[in-house]
Amino acid sequence: MKIAQDLRAGNVINVGGEPMVILKAEYSRSGRNGSVVKMKMKNLLTDSAKETVYAADDKFEQIILDKKECTYSYFADPMFVFMDTEYNQYEVEKENVGDVVNYLADGMEDICEVVFYDGKAISVELPNTIVREVEYTEPAVRGDTSGKVMKPAKLVGSGFELPVAAFIEIGDKIEIDTRTNEFKKRAN
Amino acid sequence: MARPNSCDIFCAVVDNYGDIGVCWRLARQMANEQGLQVRMWVDDLRSFGKLCPELDVTLEVQTCRGVEVRHWCKTFTVVEPADLVIGAFACEVPKSYVEAMASRHPKSVWLNLEYLSAEDWVEGCHQLPSPHPSLPLSKYFFFPGFTDKTGGLLLERGLLVRRDAFQSDASAQAEYWQCLSLPPRVAGELRVSLFGYENEAMEALLSAWEYGSQLVTCLLPEGRALPQVAAHFGVTSGKAGDVWQRGNLRVHVLPFVEQEQYDLLLWACDINFVRGEDSCVRAQWAGRPFIWHIYPQHDGVHLEKLEALRQLYTAGLPDEAALAVQNMWLSWNGGQGVATAWQDFIAQRVCLARHGVGWSQRLSKNSLALNLLDFSRRTE
Repeated sequence: MKIAQDLRAGNVINVGGEPMVILKAEYSRSGRNGSVVKMKMKNLLTDSAKETVYAADDKFEQIILDKKECTYSYFADPMFVFMDTEYNQYEVEKENVGDVVNYLADGMEDICEVVFYDGKAISVELPNTIVREVEYTEPAVRGDTSGKVMKPAKLVGSGFELPVAAFIEIGDKIEIDTRTNEFKKRAN
Repeated sequence: MARPNSCDIFCAVVDNYGDIGVCWRLARQMANEQGLQVRMWVDDLRSFGKLCPELDVTLEVQTCRGVEVRHWCKTFTVVEPADLVIGAFACEVPKSYVEAMASRHPKSVWLNLEYLSAEDWVEGCHQLPSPHPSLPLSKYFFFPGFTDKTGGLLLERGLLVRRDAFQSDASAQAEYWQCLSLPPRVAGELRVSLFGYENEAMEALLSAWEYGSQLVTCLLPEGRALPQVAAHFGVTSGKAGDVWQRGNLRVHVLPFVEQEQYDLLLWACDINFVRGEDSCVRAQWAGRPFIWHIYPQHDGVHLEKLEALRQLYTAGLPDEAALAVQNMWLSWNGGQGVATAWQDFIAQRVCLARHGVGWSQRLSKNSLALNLLDFSRRTE
């Protein structure tokens, strides 16, 4: 069993006897230390998608599907193409990539896991932590090394923008938690 | 489905009186204003009894003010589920009851009434389904809130009319103060209600009042803030009826009162310090300037929630007044400089009072009870 808070794009869960792939999961803090997770999910049998919300500690049976380690190759609209070590190519629909799209960039070397259902590539998962270079951010704030003051930064390649610590500069490499899209620290 | 005729509300009391306070208001509105048969399941009747003195905490089933109140025990005997089922604040509705909902025809409409927050993400989650992992049943998340895209706020029918009548009737107010054994107001006196949690800024605020140029009468309901206030006056404890005075500060300790009585206090005071969710909403209905002590959460996440409401509430205010609210709320929630913030806040009192009335009028257009009924009608 997996709790909603730990689910992420690409996971497949059993909801009412039907396999649902998570396309997007957003975590929000509710009141009294409770939390909710808003999830966009797609039924793998009917292809219908819907938005849902769960308490962060709601439990789900996770459906373990076949996965293959791949690297990202290129985008051929509307498909993202991944390649395994034997040069087999797998296409994943743009709609099914979810938040992973924030980090897909030409030349990236991260090992991704392409997920298969009934022989078809249905989603892709990234490592929990990845390193990306900052393409643009406002100049660093001198003296603030606490990491508590945040400012937006745009990533090289995908152009995705996320809040980073105020001391981060253009060209810095940063660690990002792909489950939450949160900046973790400056990469060494 | 058609308009629901019956409603079950499940309330697990976590701490304080916030959960039960909201559920009790909702239950009475559904029963007495909307005509539903309401059953309210409460796991802690003693806490409930503080809000509803006529409740007999030894009874498993009883009727209070038009609501059937049931003691929610660990051993839950399954009953026929209601048309509309509300689980408050993510409480876990008994498994057997959930199974009964799933097999009912037509199915019950099952809602999780969430905590109040002014944050943006609430609009995106409001009314979304939460399909049960194994049963053919969906729960829906229903978020109260301050904008049209949320579930709105609990507001009793005619409340603002009654408030306006009270606030424009000097003799009704004088009578109210007399009931509390308070002397008539004197010129320049400020009357402040103080309902809060323990607060690091308390001593500084009390000192600011004591040494300030204006007479401050502080109405302090019994509760978590009482020991700190008592300590300021050098006493170890306090109780309802106690009066302490030093310098320009006079404190009257009030008994913990029922919700309607608390409304009168908020309406009568010039400024209200409130805490948590329910009293914060009631302060907004009072239309008077208020300072919110938000329920503290891990990692300071409550400060984001405080800021979210502050931004909505102060939109349209002149910059000085908005800044005064910001500084006062922040200093009262773990910040610094409460004495200065208080001076700036009080200087904006007239502006904030005018703003508060308009704000309450805007909020009153979005009724939580009506939205709940409307949603249940539209949901299969």
